[in-house]
Amino acid sequence: MTSIPRRASRPVLAAAVIGTFALALGACGGGGGSGDSGGDESVVIGYTGPLSGGGAAYGENVQTGLQMAVDDLNKDGLEVDGKKVTIELKSLDDKYAPSTAASNAQRLADQDKAPVVVSPNAGAIKAIQQINDGRSKFMISAYTSDPAIVQSDNPLTMMIPPNFESYAKPFTEQGMKHGGKKLAFLGTQSEYGQQWTKAITDEWKKANGKIGADNSIDYATVSDFAGPVSKALSEKPDSIFVGGPSQPTALIMEEAKKQGFKGSFLVMDQAKLDEMATVTKLKNLTNSVGVLPVKEYKDPGTKDFLKHFAEVAGDKKVATSETALNYQSIAIIAKAMEVAGTTSDPEKIRAAVPDALSKVDDKYKVNGFPTEISDQGHLVNPDLDITYLNKDEKYMKVPVDQVSDTK
Amino acid sequence: MTLFIQQLFNGVALGGVYCLAAIGLTLVFGVLRIPNLAHGSLYMLGAYVTYFFLTTVGVPYVAAIGIAALVLFVLGVLLERLVFHPLRNSPHTHHMIAAIGAMFFFQAVAQAIWGADFRRMETPLSGSLHILGAEISAQRIVIIVTAIVVLSLLTWFIKRSIHGQTIEAIEQDRTGAALVGINPAMVSMLTLGLSALLVTIAAGLVSPINLLSPTMGDSLNLKVFAIIILGGLGSLPGAIVGSFALAIAETMTSTYISSAVGEAVAFVVLVGVLAIKPTGLFAKAVQR
Amino acid sequence: MNALKNPRILGTLAVLLIIALTPVAFGDENYIMRVITIGLCSAIAVYGMNIILGFTGQLSLAQGGFFGIGAYAVGLLTTDFDWPFWQAFVVGVVGTSAIGYLSGLIALRTKDEYFAIFTMAIGFIIYLTISRWESVTHAHSGVNNVKFPEAGDIVDFSNPTAMFYLVFIILLASVYITYAIRRSSVGRTLLTIRTSEDLADAIGVNVGLSKQLAFAASAFFGGIGGGLYASVVGFIGPDAATVDKTFEFLMFILVGGMGTVAGPLVGTMIVTFLFELFQDFQAYRFIVLGPIIIALVIFAPRGIVGYLGGFIDKRARKRRIGSARKDGSAGANDSDQANGSTPARGSTGTDAAGRRGTAADTITTTEEEKK
Repeated sequence: MTSIPRRASRPVLAAAVIGTFALALGACGGGGGSGDSGGDESVVIGYTGPLSGGGAAYGENVQTGLQMAVDDLNKDGLEVDGKKVTIELKSLDDKYAPSTAASNAQRLADQDKAPVVVSPNAGAIKAIQQINDGRSKFMISAYTSDPAIVQSDNPLTMMIPPNFESYAKPFTEQGMKHGGKKLAFLGTQSEYGQQWTKAITDEWKKANGKIGADNSIDYATVSDFAGPVSKALSEKPDSIFVGGPSQPTALIMEEAKKQGFKGSFLVMDQAKLDEMATVTKLKNLTNSVGVLPVKEYKDPGTKDFLKHFAEVAGDKKVATSETALNYQSIAIIAKAMEVAGTTSDPEKIRAAVPDALSKVDDKYKVNGFPTEISDQGHLVNPDLDITYLNKDEKYMKVPVDQVSDTK
Repeated sequence: MTLFIQQLFNGVALGGVYCLAAIGLTLVFGVLRIPNLAHGSLYMLGAYVTYFFLTTVGVPYVAAIGIAALVLFVLGVLLERLVFHPLRNSPHTHHMIAAIGAMFFFQAVAQAIWGADFRRMETPLSGSLHILGAEISAQRIVIIVTAIVVLSLLTWFIKRSIHGQTIEAIEQDRTGAALVGINPAMVSMLTLGLSALLVTIAAGLVSPINLLSPTMGDSLNLKVFAIIILGGLGSLPGAIVGSFALAIAETMTSTYISSAVGEAVAFVVLVGVLAIKPTGLFAKAVQR
Repeated sequence: MNALKNPRILGTLAVLLIIALTPVAFGDENYIMRVITIGLCSAIAVYGMNIILGFTGQLSLAQGGFFGIGAYAVGLLTTDFDWPFWQAFVVGVVGTSAIGYLSGLIALRTKDEYFAIFTMAIGFIIYLTISRWESVTHAHSGVNNVKFPEAGDIVDFSNPTAMFYLVFIILLASVYITYAIRRSSVGRTLLTIRTSEDLADAIGVNVGLSKQLAFAASAFFGGIGGGLYASVVGFIGPDAATVDKTFEFLMFILVGGMGTVAGPLVGTMIVTFLFELFQDFQAYRFIVLGPIIIALVIFAPRGIVGYLGGFIDKRARKRRIGSARKDGSAGANDSDQANGSTPARGSTGTDAAGRRGTAADTITTTEEEKK
């Protein structure tokens, strides 16, 4: 009996649902087009990154930096070729999937006429490089320290952070100095973690160190870190290589100290020591080598940037290099547009980057501002430091000799 | 040897975690005959709600878990009413997709409310025990003990209490149970609520040794499914044995072979067992 | 040419025609071409799923894994081993089918939910292998610069429109094969298995072998879809083989309509564009999409094509009651943009399934009245 009204209502509901789809499709076809309105010109800077799923926190950090830069630049007022230009940030979610990232980038370039697309993931960048220099042209602002993306000689790629291979040598030296000759691996099982493991293995062997078994685990899927840590410690290492997202890395180091580890840690650059300190005591992180926290930089704009960041993100969050470096890079791109006198020609914008670097306002220099860009498109600051967090919880600076990007 | 004992403890603690998560799922399967793929996201929500009461509201740890368990019980009932009940006559493919829709929804909601950042839940339990040279933290002992207590209570509930007996009756024979006056709709709601409650207890206990994030349930989800299939769908003893067996296998293979093998071992064991015994270790007489 | 008056076939042809003409309208829109071409690759894999799930009634969740194997076979062979595309493609598809057949030997010993979750485990093992076997698959670094198909000087497949038509033609073949299977005795055998394995066994159907072949066929289409996908996108990472991919496929087929000929294509296109459309909501899109998915399976459980098919049947029945003269071609004139389609004789199948559904409804309703 109850079934009669239900059955009668079903077709209606089904029709409604299908109707929604039809509308959605219609809207899809009609949508798009750049959002310029009225007198002022506007330009879209595209961003595709993980905004949901496992990498969402990372993707949001990057997005914060981009948005802060866009807001500041618009406040300052940008003038290109005599016209006032407003910058608009358009973000799309790719859930870390390279092919989705490439579709997003294509969409940003086609429909929103974005001359520049930002991507924070090496796999995604490689996928985007398949399409950014052919029928559609746009520049990639690439936030990854994997040199493979500049080795591909894509003329429209700008790589932002330092090449991670530069870290392998000083990390090894510091790790051995404060720990000992025997190294255990407990990094994360990601593309990037594996590359780091390989680079550190090579350097460590070169320095006559001993390498234990590779205990890399997937930080995202392990429910309890105690087991893997016990295993790594059973080899009685003097140093441990750790690193993945900051927070799980912190838990692993805490667990290792709890299980009695006294040696040194080599912390991969994906994990930031000051961000790790938000989930554990800094005491649990001492005797470790890592990248220098943003707040330790002495660039002219660092202080104001940190203040501004606290207003935007709340004081519980720590500004990391993901945020800071992307903040800088948008300022560089905006200046390059000004120098090139165009917001729509990615080739001219890219060509103007070397000139633009010296003209960027001091307030946008926050995290080791680059002074040059290599022929392959890598932003370089010759003075790069890493840090050693000593037993007194002080960050000591250690200078780095950077390696070349060529294979 | 110390390493072995250490890893055995770690394996048993991990087994407790899996077990608390798996029994709810297998109950739901037994009664509703649906693989609830949203189980992992209920686990995630349970953790966040516990976190909310513990950190934001500021109630004590145990009370926070209790309140969260009740909240999730209600949520489980709602999930049954709004999603699974309308689908009760559809093939199981529809349930799976609906559950995935629910999973997407829960994850997006958690991210909207609590953000994508990892969060850490502090526990009042600190310190650790040293047994035979192995170090095992208080939190892990609590996990093992709670798993045992909850399992005993659940067994008592199902065998002795009237509500529990209706669950078992429906599991055994849906039509027969309906004939003797048991309301399948009520029991379905009760079961889904109960499974959400159990998984919240698991989440509340496990979160302090790991981190909270909107995707924390994903990896657990797959493993728990492997466990209940291994044990035999709908079988409580199967879920218990499966949990501890897989957890120990996982810890031991990661220790003595490699971490990559450790990650895959649950699924390799599953394939192996089902190749020999296609209905799992403790298959029930399944009504069709 | 009675078939051409059948609204289902007309509908299918209309859908195919619309898609065939997209390059004319959007040839310069790289983004739309890319999304559609990738969608077509997925649709091919979804047609594979249609055979094992829609026709045979076995929920296989390994399809994402097979898709990944096809993609990686083409990706790795054309780059690391420098094979031409076509050779790699053939090897990839044959290899995927073989792996499908072999895993089917174990998987098909299990039934129902066990089969579903067991195949999910197979899919996950495939994913783990791809994402962890670094020396062969490059794990998370992915495979870069996968080759385009070679065609001498005749066609340049690096042109998106050419690639689109290649994928489209292969898709057409898949649709035709689905149609042919559906009409053939093999299709009826599979449908019998879907209705009742015991019954099929009793009337002398070799249930084991039929299921085995259906499973291998689903892997075959998965491999084709994956192989083409690798060439279309040019870069593949382990995300091509995830379990999420399988669920995506499952969503496509459910929205389109299980067991129908046009369903997989319609579902794939609609859901793909829906996902793209909701991109503007960024991280919050699933707050909207989640409930939409749930609403779809609750209120349109037979999918869009299944729903339209039912609608056509109803109209036809009304006609028949109204005028008993020409029931054979009834409903041909009022095609009503009936995108839906099952082949001419398919209506028997749908009816059977529909009746089954009704019967089940009745049983449970009475069951509930009793309490």
